[in-house]
Amino acid sequence: MAAASKAAIPSSSAVLGSISTLNNPSLLKMSYYFTILSPTDTPLFNIAFGTSKGGGDGIARFRFPETAQYMNQFIIHSSLDILEEAQWTNGGMYLKHIDTYPPAAAYITAFLTPSGARFLLLHQPPNLPSSTSSSSGLGSSSLLGTAGSTTRASSSSIAANPTSPQTEEAVRQFMNEVYENYVKTAMSPFYKQGMEIKSPVFRTRVTAAGKKWL
Amino acid sequence: MSSTKTSRIGEETRVDKVNAELVTLTYGTIVAQLCQDYDSNYQDVNKQLDKMGYNIGMRLIEDFLAKSGVGRCANFRETADMIAKVGFKIFLNVTPTVTNWTSDNTQFSLIFEDNPLADFVELPDDGRAQDELWFSNILCGVLRGSLEMVQMQIEAHFVSDVLRGDDTTEMRVSLVRYIEDEMPPEEE
Amino acid sequence: MAAPPRHATMQSISNGGIAPGTDRPQTQQTQAQLSQQSPGLRVPSNRKTIYDRHLNRSRNAELSRASFAFLFGEMVTYAQRRVTGIQDLEKRLNEQGYPLGLRLLDLLFYRSTSTSSSALSSSSTSSSPPNRPLRIITLLHLIHGPLWRLLFGRAADALEHSVSPDTPNEYMITDNDPMVNTYISAPRDMSMLNCAAYVAGIIEGVCDGCGFETKVSAHNQPTELWPSRTVFLVRFGDPVMEREKVLERAGVK
Repeated sequence: MAAASKAAIPSSSAVLGSISTLNNPSLLKMSYYFTILSPTDTPLFNIAFGTSKGGGDGIARFRFPETAQYMNQFIIHSSLDILEEAQWTNGGMYLKHIDTYPPAAAYITAFLTPSGARFLLLHQPPNLPSSTSSSSGLGSSSLLGTAGSTTRASSSSIAANPTSPQTEEAVRQFMNEVYENYVKTAMSPFYKQGMEIKSPVFRTRVTAAGKKWL
Repeated sequence: MSSTKTSRIGEETRVDKVNAELVTLTYGTIVAQLCQDYDSNYQDVNKQLDKMGYNIGMRLIEDFLAKSGVGRCANFRETADMIAKVGFKIFLNVTPTVTNWTSDNTQFSLIFEDNPLADFVELPDDGRAQDELWFSNILCGVLRGSLEMVQMQIEAHFVSDVLRGDDTTEMRVSLVRYIEDEMPPEEE
Repeated sequence: MAAPPRHATMQSISNGGIAPGTDRPQTQQTQAQLSQQSPGLRVPSNRKTIYDRHLNRSRNAELSRASFAFLFGEMVTYAQRRVTGIQDLEKRLNEQGYPLGLRLLDLLFYRSTSTSSSALSSSSTSSSPPNRPLRIITLLHLIHGPLWRLLFGRAADALEHSVSPDTPNEYMITDNDPMVNTYISAPRDMSMLNCAAYVAGIIEGVCDGCGFETKVSAHNQPTELWPSRTVFLVRFGDPVMEREKVLERAGVK
């Protein structure tokens, strides 16, 4: 499963090039920023966490920690146009990987609820000390995902490979679990569409889902 | 009437059905609307729910008597049984437990294991709703209205509710008096 | 671009203020430490919240139709006291039905996904989750079939497209005997209009939720055979019609 193929991520900050240290723990420290937006793109909920897989401690470590919260929100919002397009060509709820932001090596996966709420997951692999940038890559965004799968796959490190089928499946499971909790929230008569989701129980559930799948 | 016979009436009465969730969601909308209209003044919302329940109760009793075919209850204890095992069973498909009778048999509690009106509901987290709002207060009014139509004046109020974080949902019902019809003096 | 929301929360998370692994007991004291978050609601000692309740638990539950009728009747009576006329009343009932449409939409899809039944998907061999409707016809079939069955236990009676060239954006869903009309003891002609506006609101919520901007209204069109017959007029907005053309050309179903 640890096939090394050419990395398809462009730019100098590419980390998914051919690095030899399979056991590098920092490889597994994928960071996630998950947000829920209303159909009119009002933020309803967000959470940042890191992978708990492969010995990860579940804490997010974004590339540019001081500006991470702004960057993450900016990146997410700039992928909304693509989301709008994808929404009308793909009838599934899980829209999979819809956008990439190479300068921060960020991948964005989307899920659209039938009632129009958007779940967006930004995943960012960590910065590695030495990285070889690989062959030329795609433009700054791609509806169809990256051309090939990247390296660094120990079979369980979905974290290291943001666009592989395993990752997509794991993210899909995560999204489905969040969706279940979202529906439970929305069913309460006191929850109006567009309201921020403040429940600490909801937050715990999403965190647990992140820990379980990602 | 024996208690088991009462249960049987509740079980066997046939009624036209509707999706329970439609009822739940409609009731939820009603309460949410009231909270909005009264600007989250939960005391007023409780009162309005009680009033609405009272209006419903006055019409519901006829429907109840027609559907269940039961006659007059001999005493208040039988009434309580009838309410729990037949009334609530027919209309909400639940049978609350009747308990905590006072020694003079004029007060009892109804404990609700299940409450379809409150399914899916989470009270607003505004620091007040859980202390002030009785979400299912309409039921108190329904009891009051329907029993008044059969000559009983009662008082009903909730003392606990799982939506408020309590362990049970309990309504306390007290008999105030039997309403005697006053005969006009000219009547023979 | 929206301003970063919940700044404080973000900071508390990235500073490790909330360790994802811990399972926080739901107590007011603990929650008070997270000053940026709401304190959280009290829960019973069994710690059960809405998140513990299975969404499918009441799936096939039924209650007496009279319960709905009584509640709905009171809802209408209460609304009547607060409005200034029939149109206002209809608007209010529509508004009250609207959030139900959104909720039922999610519930409908959640249930199809979780049981992997192909009730919603058009392909008979599909075992994948149902698709969100991308075209008007698919949306209308969703309403006419699964939604109506969820609400009323049967499909709606007719689905039609306006034949007038002036109104290609108008569609009609007919219900010969709307359940919501029974048992209402208010004046007949007025009561029918009221009840239907609530359902119209539900339909509007479903359409809007799916991304099809719509206005839905209810109209009595009694026939000899069906005195309560109601037609729901669904009028799609211009952006929807534009998009339909684009999707049609692109071959999206």
